[in-house]
Amino acid sequence: MTISRRVFVKAGGLALVSFGLDPLFLARAAFAGEASRVSGGRRVLVCLFQRGAVDGLNMIVPHGDPTYYRERPRIAVPQADVVDLDGYFGLHPRLAMLKPLWDNKSLAAIHAIGSPDATRSHFDAQDYLESGTPGVKTTSDGWLNRYCQHDQEHQDTPFRAVAFGPQLPRILAGTAPSLAIDDLQAFGLRGPQPVARDRLTRAFEELYAASATGLVSTSSREAFDAVRLLTQVDPARHQPAPGVEYPRGRFGRAMLQIAQLIKADVGLELAFADVSGWDTHVNQGAGEGQLAARLAEFGQALAAFAQDLGEGMRDVVVLTMSEFGRTVRENGNAGTDHGHATAMLVLGGPVEGGRVLGKWPGLDARERFEGRDVAVTTDFRDLFAEILARHLGGRELGAVFPGFTPDPRRFPGAIRV
Amino acid sequence: MRTRLPDLVAIVAGVTALPWGLEAQAPVREHGAPTARTTYSPSDSAWHALNRLAYGPRPGDVQRVAAGGVLRWIDQQLDFRAIDDDYLGERQRDFALLDYDRGDLTRLYAEADRERQERLRTGDTTAAKPDDGPAGQRSRRFAGQLQQLALVRAVVSERQLFEVMVDFWTNHFNVYFAKGPDRALTPDYIEHTIRRHAMGRFEDLLIATAKSPAMLFYLDNWQSVAPGATPPPPMRIEMRPLFGRLPAAIPPPRDPATMDSLRERAQRRAPQGLNENYARELLELHTLGVDGGYTQQDVIAVARVFTGWSIRRPQQDGAFEFHEWAHDDGEKTVLGVMFPAGHGRDEGIRLLKLLAQHPATMHHVSRQLCQRFVNDDPPDGCVDDAVAAWRRSGGEIREVLRAIFHGPDFWSTANVGAKVKTPLEFVVSAARALEAEPDTTPRLAQLVARLGEPLYLHVAPDGYPEREDAWVNSGALLDRMNTAVALAAGKLGGIAAPSAPGAVPDSALDHEQLLANIDEQILGGRMSENTRQVIRHQLSDVNDPRAARAFAVGLAIGGPEFQRR
Repeated sequence: MTISRRVFVKAGGLALVSFGLDPLFLARAAFAGEASRVSGGRRVLVCLFQRGAVDGLNMIVPHGDPTYYRERPRIAVPQADVVDLDGYFGLHPRLAMLKPLWDNKSLAAIHAIGSPDATRSHFDAQDYLESGTPGVKTTSDGWLNRYCQHDQEHQDTPFRAVAFGPQLPRILAGTAPSLAIDDLQAFGLRGPQPVARDRLTRAFEELYAASATGLVSTSSREAFDAVRLLTQVDPARHQPAPGVEYPRGRFGRAMLQIAQLIKADVGLELAFADVSGWDTHVNQGAGEGQLAARLAEFGQALAAFAQDLGEGMRDVVVLTMSEFGRTVRENGNAGTDHGHATAMLVLGGPVEGGRVLGKWPGLDARERFEGRDVAVTTDFRDLFAEILARHLGGRELGAVFPGFTPDPRRFPGAIRV
Repeated sequence: MRTRLPDLVAIVAGVTALPWGLEAQAPVREHGAPTARTTYSPSDSAWHALNRLAYGPRPGDVQRVAAGGVLRWIDQQLDFRAIDDDYLGERQRDFALLDYDRGDLTRLYAEADRERQERLRTGDTTAAKPDDGPAGQRSRRFAGQLQQLALVRAVVSERQLFEVMVDFWTNHFNVYFAKGPDRALTPDYIEHTIRRHAMGRFEDLLIATAKSPAMLFYLDNWQSVAPGATPPPPMRIEMRPLFGRLPAAIPPPRDPATMDSLRERAQRRAPQGLNENYARELLELHTLGVDGGYTQQDVIAVARVFTGWSIRRPQQDGAFEFHEWAHDDGEKTVLGVMFPAGHGRDEGIRLLKLLAQHPATMHHVSRQLCQRFVNDDPPDGCVDDAVAAWRRSGGEIREVLRAIFHGPDFWSTANVGAKVKTPLEFVVSAARALEAEPDTTPRLAQLVARLGEPLYLHVAPDGYPEREDAWVNSGALLDRMNTAVALAAGKLGGIAAPSAPGAVPDSALDHEQLLANIDEQILGGRMSENTRQVIRHQLSDVNDPRAARAFAVGLAIGGPEFQRR
């Protein structure tokens, strides 16, 4: 068992005790059975962050609940338009392309999921979702990075953890190497000919190897490793399968390039991308409108990704997440304000799909959080821990989620055992 | 142990008040400057100040500032109005955007919207982009000018500290340019809200942002109304929260039935309740900070205080307007302070003054300033000094800054070179180091965007973070190297690099002289031995002096030393 010094420092007294009576060991023993099934193809987890707090109630619509329609006279999705899933919940009509994935059991939804922390601040809630430590702001790294720190079997590649975007997100911040790639095709030094390019690359590599310090040093090392490997494998030659159409724009492009990296077999284990535009305070729309347009792009990208990878989805799980949900009742501007629980989607071959998971608290005013929001009945860490344990074979989950004891009995059951 | 500044510096600085600092021990390796140094020369102090109060030195700046006295230069920068900035004035004349006031711009954007809708209505798909009408094209050009203007100002202005503070407040009071009418409202916000108060009193700045149409729209307060309040009858039909449509888009009313249905539709769209968005960000980001000790009940009470703070329709000019009918005039309690019933717009001002002077606000904002100017993890002493100056001066931003610049932490070796340049700082400092000037096209602004922080386009109200982990990553570092190589080779669009900047002439120099010049003028004498060797080695087979200069300068600007400030 290897634990970076950093975690010891952070976990303080608890970590010291763990030498004698090892909670990590206990956690590992508990998950040994879960991990054993991981073998063969490299498992991949794709995390998609709906930044801005998606309205879970209009994404996975509780169309069987009259309260939903009563509270949202202007923005409820009409029952006739909802794509029914189980008689009570249904997909927003602009997510209809996901229905076949539901039908073949590779798509599940978890409702009433969220943070145990009550904050309605985007920044705090995003921070907690990414640090994996709700209520604790001093955590310096993200939970995906901590997973990489503690499960070191896959550290043979600079592409183990890749975030698509100009910046490395909080969720991947930390001591384990991870990459931020804005555009796979433009990654690396540019030169008029390959010779000039290679020479520039070497020169900068030498400059940074000896003189850089701190984060600049580690980031540059990761960059040059990645450039070398990309030149060898050229992922761009893996074009989308025939008939697959990713939506135009940043998010569709990120999904396309994640698929390319998976096909290029560079050792990708964790991929991350942001998709924004969910903070619908005003004129949210119902079956059509602002939120509908965002969901259409979102759903189309997911569907294209699944179709593009085809058989490859056997080893892939896509997890969507958002910092919190939105108020049950629509606000004065035909929108919704910051709420509490939301819905998340899990998609992929290993998923026990075709079900809406989690304990549904109902929309009744008495059941709501602070009288206004959907209550959280599933701590998001239970879902994340389940996916790490049962899909990726992660073991030291207590260290990935400090201050939290993952317990298989609380797992929502998103991954087939 | 801290020792006093060497006498020599004080003498050269020409002042009696000594800044603290300049420890004698070697700097901390992880954070410190790449070159370990135990003594500080006046030009080291000048280099440091020029990297913090300014966007880095231009050739000759370090020597000039050191000779005139670093502290005197800092005082001049604080007293920015006395600095002659004629050349910037000249450059600004190239920006037609500045000839348009908010009313002109809101009308232009309304016209662009009308063009777009007209095309949608007629099914005209000949235009390649949705904004391709004449008004649409002009509004797109202005969007580019707005971003590029910030670049030009940062590069050429002599009032460097002022420009740095404009960037700081633009981030602190962030608005998102691409949110609907904020396209038209942001230029006015920058010119007349942020720039007017950037070095004034915090309270004035806070009130100005609260009343600014850009903020009122961005954080939705313009449509927050007391629950149950309805607009007076003449406003009902006009009350159209969907922006960007001229009345022409509605068919003219014909009969009473149509009138009724129009009225009903207008009412349905009219704001009908409280919107907490601005109230929450005002407390969390603009003033108290997230740990500032307020509750959800405070957020709601603040939202009620600001009901009715709204704007005229953008087709008119989007100006600030207080709607009496929308205001909740009941009693409220914010942070334990009672706001009695029966008040209107005045209680909003009272609340803003209360917040501006709140200890949590002083601490929160001072901490951010220390983060910006001293260290990502600001030392407590720096924050305490800033808070004390805030208290003393009643929130005069200049006095808070003065306290930071005169404090020991600002000059401590552990903090020199401790900050990694943001994308904007990197691009601007590179241009300044080469005396290269951005043109009026938005190409340099697009470069800043590619490096990760597009101007005026941070969607969340917190603005771009002050911490390096937000922008330092492998992809962005590679992009910086590419940028440096292109800039040095004169191949970067949108910027005119003089063929042979005075500081680093390209002809008749041997490579050693070239290296010495680059070290002195671009790296402030901080070139590491490794960098020297790598560049020397790379130059060994380059015979053309011009190519050698471009190559060496590109490696220096793209290299590790230049990423820090």
